[in-house]
Amino acid sequence: MSESIDLTMTLALLPEILLLVLAGLVLTFDLIWSEDRKRSLGWLTAGGLAVTLVVSMIFARPGEQAIFVWGGMLRYDWLGFTFQMLFLFGAALTALLAMDVKELGSRGEFYILMLVSTIGMSLMVSSADLIMLYLAIETTSIPMYVLAGFFKQDNKSTEAGFKYLLFGAMTSAIMLYGFSLLFGYAGTTDIYNLAFAIQAGAIETIPLMGSLFLVLVGFSFKISAVPFHFWAPDVYEGAPTPIAGFLSTASKAAGFGVLIRFFMAAFPTISTEWSNIIAIVAVATMTLGNFLAITQSNIKRMLAYSSIAHAGYILVGVATATPLGMTSVVFYLIIYLVTNLAAFGIVFTFWRTERSDEIKSYDGFSRRAPGLGLAMMVAFLSLAGMPPFGGFIAKVLVFAAAVNADMVWLAVIGVLNSIIGLYYYLIVLKHVYLYRTDADEKPVPVAVPARIALIILTFGIVLLGVAFAPWFHWSTTAASILF
Amino acid sequence: MLDYLPIAVLIILATGLASLVVILGHLFGPKRYIETKMMPYESGVNPYGPGTRRMTVRYYMVAVLFILFDIEVIFFLPWAVVLRDFIDHSLGLFALIEMFVFIVILLVGYAYAWKKGALEWE
Repeated sequence: MSESIDLTMTLALLPEILLLVLAGLVLTFDLIWSEDRKRSLGWLTAGGLAVTLVVSMIFARPGEQAIFVWGGMLRYDWLGFTFQMLFLFGAALTALLAMDVKELGSRGEFYILMLVSTIGMSLMVSSADLIMLYLAIETTSIPMYVLAGFFKQDNKSTEAGFKYLLFGAMTSAIMLYGFSLLFGYAGTTDIYNLAFAIQAGAIETIPLMGSLFLVLVGFSFKISAVPFHFWAPDVYEGAPTPIAGFLSTASKAAGFGVLIRFFMAAFPTISTEWSNIIAIVAVATMTLGNFLAITQSNIKRMLAYSSIAHAGYILVGVATATPLGMTSVVFYLIIYLVTNLAAFGIVFTFWRTERSDEIKSYDGFSRRAPGLGLAMMVAFLSLAGMPPFGGFIAKVLVFAAAVNADMVWLAVIGVLNSIIGLYYYLIVLKHVYLYRTDADEKPVPVAVPARIALIILTFGIVLLGVAFAPWFHWSTTAASILF
Repeated sequence: MLDYLPIAVLIILATGLASLVVILGHLFGPKRYIETKMMPYESGVNPYGPGTRRMTVRYYMVAVLFILFDIEVIFFLPWAVVLRDFIDHSLGLFALIEMFVFIVILLVGYAYAWKKGALEWE
């Protein structure tokens, strides 16, 4: 207790504190408001998150130098901060998208669980201690298990929740075993001190690689990397679509944030070894994701496999272990969050009226809802990596990082994979734009909040692709803190 | 690795002895199967109904509420232990406010459970 609590320590936690206050408010208003007003909880959540975002951006920006706060539990730096802002943005838009479906948006629990999960993610990316990290990962995961199984009456949703729980519990147990081995050998739970212990030779090579593998299992589950990807298609298909979108973007970003911080901080001495392992995982992940996505007839399953493939592309950036590679990871995640949230948002808006997720039912979509069709085209072309959308810049950066780090073969495989990816994204667009149905005149209504969210996201995709300098600069600042 | 040899010896001895005792008892002990012996708890309360019957979901509510208040007490205890140190460092007020924040968060959860009818048995 030698250190006192000062302003910096409070500022480091400002996003989390505001999120907690917001969660309390939502919980209280959930009790006070009548059933038909509960929809407005979505406005409250999204508005509160927006306020949190703005206030944090103004007051809680970290300094150039990273500092350890709360007894070394958290590291207050740009990497964590960047990811935190990303989660706040993602959660706000998820709330807007989900508002107007009765069984989701009129239930206070939905917003509360999402907010609590966001708190967990925020702590995850800034934690500098194994115990804090594990606690944060569980805080993130447990509300997510519930959210994945949120539609109690729907067997698929229940299955999704249960599957996610079993997979999550299993992998986090394995990861915890890795943590305990690291602690046992190095005698410290501080991630940054682990590196010194390893450098001093506290851990022999075999146990070190063993614990690295065990830890990687837990992270691979979070980012749905092969071979721990099995849950993704089933969970995305069964879970409520906004939750699937949130899982595939914010939760995945949190996993990547932890992965790069942990590996760069704790294992810099064996970076060649883990770089090779991650390169192999990256190749397996993107190839498998892309090939399996081709055969899907359900659009959510297709997006799930596509999100596995994208995890593979991002892992290419991780595998380089260079400043440019880490910058490309952060940048890719920003763009991926915006793009994939848009894709899931459109799928959800369509499901709201049609109650169908089959790709076939998208026939004639562009005539029924020209605006949505356009947004879908922007989102899917960005996912496929077409200029002038954000996805293009993201892919270029990741592959450039691979070439710069003398991993040309990895970049080549990545580019080949993007071509496969283009195929199945265009198949969906073919259904949307070229095919016709008898229901051509039946419009697809879009609720106001969802409309706002989709407009923000669509413009975001174009903006990120056209004016990418500020975002790139931001990602560079965030990534440089790792070295 | 030699440091771990005593542990290995211990593991082998423990498992060996335990299995030896069970095997010896199995081989030489008398076997009399009576109904009382077949019960899950030989000297406990007599069980009724099958063990795999469905439980009412209300028990889970009680369990969750129990956790809510149990955790509260668990966190009170270490706080009370170190409070003196906090006061010595003139952080007493801070520690007190912190605990109130914690209680308020729990209270919101309590009010939520109450209003949603988790405390009603019927």
